[in-house]
Amino acid sequence: MMWEGLAIGLFSLGIIGFGFFWVIRMEYHLGYLWWPYPLLFGIAIIVLSLFVADAGWSALLGVTGASFIWGATELKEQAVRADLGWFPRNPKPKPAPPLVNIIRKIKAPHL
Amino acid sequence: MLQTSGLWLALATFLSIWWGHVGVRWLEAKSADIRPPMVALIIAGLILNLAALFAPNVTIGGVCSVVGIALWWDAFELVRQDRRVRHGHAPANPNNPRHARYLAEGKATLHDPLDREPSDPLVNVQPTAHRKPEIAS
Repeated sequence: MMWEGLAIGLFSLGIIGFGFFWVIRMEYHLGYLWWPYPLLFGIAIIVLSLFVADAGWSALLGVTGASFIWGATELKEQAVRADLGWFPRNPKPKPAPPLVNIIRKIKAPHL
Repeated sequence: MLQTSGLWLALATFLSIWWGHVGVRWLEAKSADIRPPMVALIIAGLILNLAALFAPNVTIGGVCSVVGIALWWDAFELVRQDRRVRHGHAPANPNNPRHARYLAEGKATLHDPLDREPSDPLVNVQPTAHRKPEIAS
């Protein structure tokens, strides 16, 4: 039996669960304008997975990368949820991400 | 030679999450009773996870299991989406008898509260007050 496949499925559950956690924390402390950075991080992890010889490790990296890309698309909606009072909103101004002027011109993706 | 297992799993994971958002909202809005789609998702998830155990390689096994577990999550998510609609955190479909009942109770809304731009995170803003739910006439 192929237990590795099931292990990857369970890993995806864990990493998506972790995604909910970091999206909430990142939006709270940094703000949704940082969305391109987890997106690029996720893409980088997926590219890295292409160069890992072992299929199992490559698969885990692929799942992780995809979860970061999804997290990047959640940041904007999380910011709206905080605006609506459904989640705590950080009263302090948040730090501007690098290249903020360019980021502002791009519509933040969401699912 | 490039190892494409990660790429396939990334695709399966992202599409599963996408379906988990978009598809679950659609399915919940169209279903008068969420129990039949829940059962269908649980059975489909079970079949895919069993298929993962007998897959010929890690990539196929992983894709089957990732999609299968996502379908289980979606079954649970149907209940949460129902709760969101009931509390006015997601738009109700007035043509769905279950949603029509929630609208008549006065808590549900026809608007998508998340369909708006967030406030500027670089300036101080107070959270907006809870929006009053829209009551269907």
